[in-house]
Amino acid sequence: MNRIAIQTKDLTRRFGKLVAVDHINITIHYGEIFGYLGANGAGKSTTIRMLCGILTPTSGTATVGGFDVNTDPEKIKTSIGYVSQKFSLYQDLTVRENLEFFGRIYQLESERLQKRIEDVMQLTGLKEYERFEARVLSGGWKQRLAVANGLLHEPKILFLDEPTAGVDPMSRRSIWELLYQLADQGVALFVTTHYMEEAERCNQVAIISRGKLLRGGTPRELRESVSGQLLEVECSPLMKASQAFSRLPGVVGLTAYGTTLHLNVANAKSVETALRDTARSQSIAVASVKPIAASLEDVFASLEKEMGTGD
Amino acid sequence: MAQKEFRHLSRDKRTIRLIIFMPLVQMMIYGFAIDTDVKHLYTVLQDEDQTPISRRLVQAFEQSAYFDIKKRVQNPQELREALDRGGAKACLHIPPNFAKDILAGRPPKVQLLVDGTDSNPANTASNTGVAIVQSFVQKEGLVPIRVLPIDFRPRMWYNPDLKSAYFFVPGLVGLLIMLLIPTVTASAIVREKENGNIEQLLVTPIKPYEIMIGKILPYVLIGLIIAGTILAGAWFIFDVPIRGNPITLFFLTLLFLTVCLGIGLLASTLATNQQQASQMVMFFAAPSILLSGFIFPRENMPLPIYYLGSLIPLTYYLKIVRGVVLKGLGVWGLRDQILPLVVMAAVILFISVRKFHKRLA
Repeated sequence: MNRIAIQTKDLTRRFGKLVAVDHINITIHYGEIFGYLGANGAGKSTTIRMLCGILTPTSGTATVGGFDVNTDPEKIKTSIGYVSQKFSLYQDLTVRENLEFFGRIYQLESERLQKRIEDVMQLTGLKEYERFEARVLSGGWKQRLAVANGLLHEPKILFLDEPTAGVDPMSRRSIWELLYQLADQGVALFVTTHYMEEAERCNQVAIISRGKLLRGGTPRELRESVSGQLLEVECSPLMKASQAFSRLPGVVGLTAYGTTLHLNVANAKSVETALRDTARSQSIAVASVKPIAASLEDVFASLEKEMGTGD
Repeated sequence: MAQKEFRHLSRDKRTIRLIIFMPLVQMMIYGFAIDTDVKHLYTVLQDEDQTPISRRLVQAFEQSAYFDIKKRVQNPQELREALDRGGAKACLHIPPNFAKDILAGRPPKVQLLVDGTDSNPANTASNTGVAIVQSFVQKEGLVPIRVLPIDFRPRMWYNPDLKSAYFFVPGLVGLLIMLLIPTVTASAIVREKENGNIEQLLVTPIKPYEIMIGKILPYVLIGLIIAGTILAGAWFIFDVPIRGNPITLFFLTLLFLTVCLGIGLLASTLATNQQQASQMVMFFAAPSILLSGFIFPRENMPLPIYYLGSLIPLTYYLKIVRGVVLKGLGVWGLRDQILPLVVMAAVILFISVRKFHKRLA
């Protein structure tokens, strides 16, 4: 196992009465892509802001790159890169000018800066857009510029706050390729997202909701943590079916996906028989019933459900 | 940081146009168009005395170039009619026993009627009239010379030709700095906030004061360029003599700039978007123009308004710039203006820097 890049211990942040981040404990190693999952307002950005040293925790601690967020926030800033959710570089500066500006802020001396600018433009494929003003770039290229910018000073830890929000699938893919490349070089990547399929690409995933860490682990571990088995039922009409099936004995959870229902069940065999009987008696057309592996989305749905019953 | 700010500016064509053309246009407007000078005033004369002395007085008026005696009338009705019907702006009436009274040592009653519809030129006209009469009396040496209560406005002393350009153009330096600098500073900072740039800057090792200095520096320079342009224009186009020390003016302008930047900074910490920021600055700038004495002399204002005016930085800077340019005053002569500005600069900067920090944290 690689060395630890980020470790938090009961990290907590309150805004007045609201507990935005509630006793979060996570560990991220170098060379790892860590996916931080949660709905909007779950506390993702607040966590990032604390780890970047811009926001002081109310209680708890965290070390980032070996520096304590409570005592050494300035040192953290020099050792991390940050790619924000919203494009936050200068729209009216060219690609190169943006990079030059931020490079100078990181106090790279001019020779090294020029080399780094070439390197990151090479890495992100921005070279041919060098003289374009940032505002004329498309969403995907802007995001690449933001990543390039975050990498200028060769940070060993990179934070990306929803790096692919509003980016077309092709660009999204190439951005992820870039992230894998960085992870291979030993960079720790902290990525927030609410795209479940993106979370599948991470080495480690943590799901948070209302400031609390619900579950963490590899995507496989998380999927396996969904107790019982998962049945995918293709049927119609969907709403009627979902009401009828959720009352069947042995059904723990039920989520609708397009034209199918995902049923979280204790015993697939017995539920399937009962399901087909009910369908016949209530004239619900069932096209297919098959056991499937849980996706992270199912995990997320079942965790949300647990949270809901817990309240 | 500062270099980047210049790049922003060079991309922002609208602001550049504003910064370059506004001073020039304003200078032309205030220098040429707003001409409160009183010259070649249509004057009607009723000379009931018709003696050499009375004629010499009339001559004195004519030579002054302020009064053009275009019509001579015989009776008060005609005189009144000339004024009423708007053609004449002033009437000079010399009573029948003018010469006799003077020789007898009795003060004669010479009357100057001025059309007071427009108070500014009327004021000037009557002041000028009094001045002409007084100098006439002295020159003639006919009357024991009284100690004249010289309550001429300074502009008369230092601006013997009473050219309004002398008065307005140096004042423009102050006005434009007051109008432009806080606005551009505030919107430059607020723009970073609006675009989320500040968030990116925060995660870098840059210090808040570095951000601030970087943002402000280009505007200090622009302020100085504006001041330079206008003073050069004043010198070349309007022949305004610059009597004082340019270096003194430079440093005092810098002081005033500091106050204006502070105002801009303060507005930027309070506003959430650029429009709000510029509205806030305008809210402050509008009364500044009216109450600072840029157009209307503060001495004529009601007392509460007069005191309100003394809270405005532009008030002091106008006195400074006019003092240095027209009167050739130095730092010591302007201490009453410099001190309040220093205090204002310190207070405004202190508050805005603190707010700026808090806002970022």
